[in-house]
Amino acid sequence: MNGAEAMVRCLQEEGVTTIFGIPGVAIAPFYEAIYNQDSIRHILVRQEQAAGHAASGYARISRRPGVCVTSSGPGATNLITALATAYADSIPVVAITGQVNSSLLGRDVFQEADMRGATSSFVKYSYLVKDVDDIPRVFREAFYIANTGRKGPVLIDIPCDVQAQKLEKAFSYPENVDIRGYKPTARGNKSQMDKVIETINKSMKPLICAGGGVILGNSETEIRSFCEKFNIPLVSTMMGIGVMPKKHPLYFGMLGNNGKPYANRAVSGADLLIIVGARVADRAVPKPDALEQRLKVIHIDVDSAEIGKNLGPTIPLVGDAKLIFRELLNADIHIDTENWIRTLEEFKKNTVDTRVFSEKLVNPMTLVTTLSEKMDDDGIYVADVGQNQLWSADNYVMKNGRFLTTGGMGTMGYSIPASIGAKYAAPDKQVVTVVGDGAFQMSMYELGTIAVNRLPMKLIVVKNRYLGLVREHQEKVYQGHYSGVALYDYPKYDKLAESYDMEYFHVDSNDALPEALDRFLSCDKAALMVCDVDSSDKTK
Amino acid sequence: MRGIFSVLVENKDGVLSAISGLFARRGFNIDSLAVGTTDQRDISSMTIVSTGDERTISQIEKQLNKKVDVIKVRRLDETRTVELEMLLIKVAYSATNRAALIELCSVMGAKIMHVSPKYMIIEMASDPESIEDFIMLCKPFGILETQRTGTIAMAKK
Ligand SMILES: Cc1ncc(C[n+]2csc(CCOP(=O)(O)OP(=O)(O)O)c2C)c(N)n1
Ligand SMILES: [Mg+2]
Repeated sequence: MNGAEAMVRCLQEEGVTTIFGIPGVAIAPFYEAIYNQDSIRHILVRQEQAAGHAASGYARISRRPGVCVTSSGPGATNLITALATAYADSIPVVAITGQVNSSLLGRDVFQEADMRGATSSFVKYSYLVKDVDDIPRVFREAFYIANTGRKGPVLIDIPCDVQAQKLEKAFSYPENVDIRGYKPTARGNKSQMDKVIETINKSMKPLICAGGGVILGNSETEIRSFCEKFNIPLVSTMMGIGVMPKKHPLYFGMLGNNGKPYANRAVSGADLLIIVGARVADRAVPKPDALEQRLKVIHIDVDSAEIGKNLGPTIPLVGDAKLIFRELLNADIHIDTENWIRTLEEFKKNTVDTRVFSEKLVNPMTLVTTLSEKMDDDGIYVADVGQNQLWSADNYVMKNGRFLTTGGMGTMGYSIPASIGAKYAAPDKQVVTVVGDGAFQMSMYELGTIAVNRLPMKLIVVKNRYLGLVREHQEKVYQGHYSGVALYDYPKYDKLAESYDMEYFHVDSNDALPEALDRFLSCDKAALMVCDVDSSDKTK
Repeated sequence: MRGIFSVLVENKDGVLSAISGLFARRGFNIDSLAVGTTDQRDISSMTIVSTGDERTISQIEKQLNKKVDVIKVRRLDETRTVELEMLLIKVAYSATNRAALIELCSVMGAKIMHVSPKYMIIEMASDPESIEDFIMLCKPFGILETQRTGTIAMAKK
């Protein structure tokens, strides 16, 4: 068995069935080993960044690490943006990159890039494999590190000659992982737990703020049950959309800069904020320091370093949200939140949206609402970045599906490849991608992957002919000096759809929307829908 | 405030750069960093001294702990810690102040390692504060060169 065959064996041991990538000479032995087996399918993408995003979408839906593969040098560096994105969103991804022969390392030969160095602040951990017999241990550890504690991407950089070498020892996949410096905390500390319960019991106006960590920790059910049992309301961050259905009586929307005003009023009105799996980053809470002076904060996270990073003194509880909320469900908690919930309902009822949308074209809010209402109950909605992301997050009607987007890095061009990954993870589920015309053009090469694999993807381009979010900023801050943001009328979407064998839909009015969406969603094959939106429509 | 961390790490390549990279990326100061092996060959020990407010110092501790190759982090209490630093200093002298320099060395517990007609190379191993004092006291003679190792530290219990 050579190194490459061992790599494939390791992936099989991890139960990997789908990987995304692009080969090159430095990873050729691995591709030969892939060729000689049939339990793992390799999906050839059109640019390495897409391999990373696809692995991320795959991971988020399958709730297991996603795997991407590239060659050395430019193939590997193309992946970096995707790794940074996965890192910011704590998505478990294992990235395998080919490397020049180990005897040539450090000599700047053709297509050598120092990937460990280049990715050091974008991965949770990285390996450069120099000894072929290390492969089983390295893979076992990589999957373990990626998918435990605070999840994230792990890089395995592996020289071409190591892939080709014969193993000296018989292949054996380690059962256990023992990394002395890595022991993620799972259970909440008992005395902290007691303090948390005591604090909840003293509160009259508690509020849970759920972040992406709740979903990454598979703890949605536990948190929902907790809220229901003790009648505690919940708001979410953008990454936490999906923790509760939109119409749940205890859900009070997404908070933050771009969130619901009543969600932010809930934060201001609360006397106790229970933050779970959220970073409390600037987009969600603009002035965290002001928060802590006013109210008590309990911060629950698997990553102890997250607690107190952006927010001062809190009651920290480090551990796995699923285990913690399972325990909290049985805790001795008795609070009366009737009045508090009533106040929040008032807030919600009295919020009026004063934004004016162009009536001539498609109203993006109507688009998102109608679309998500028409989607399958368990459909997957993948939102890109830009104005369209904020409209999506704000208006998405969560039922029992999933809402995927990148909140941490806000990488344009995430949605199409991530949707492809999601589709491979859940082939029977409806996957709908909503993307701006700018980001579409950053990722439209993936129409090739969609066409070749006959994936029935559903792509909606929100076409406002601009890099809309930047345009909106320039309008507000720079007196409408639109600098470098116009996209005009290209590409010709009908021709593009035709050349990739996609059904094409074009909608330019609200009236035509419902019927067009019905037809679009019921297409058997891949479909592209372009919705014309006025460039002056605002997110705020 | 000052934070002294005693950090045990895997003795592998890339670990030192991962740690120093962490400080650079997050804007933490490194006042001093000393690295050496321990009695176990596969473990290195680092002493890192940093300054910052309480939140920063506690973030440093947590971020260090997060690193996979960091085995153990101890934040040392300054008042219960033995700190040691080494200094090599090349100091100029003349016939008139030669005796004064020798006297200073003996008072401060510094050792003269090398004497040439115009300068001496002096070694001192002490706590960082005494090292600072000694350097200051050498200044009037004329300092030609200094080398410091960075602090190593050990908790008293
Ligand atoms: C890769 C990348 N480059 C640049 C940006 C900065 N940026 C944020 S939103 C945006 C405009 C997005 O335009 P479009 O995709 O058309 O969406 P719209 O805002 O018009 O809905 C830009 C350029 C980014 N987030 N990601
Ligand atoms: Mg646009």
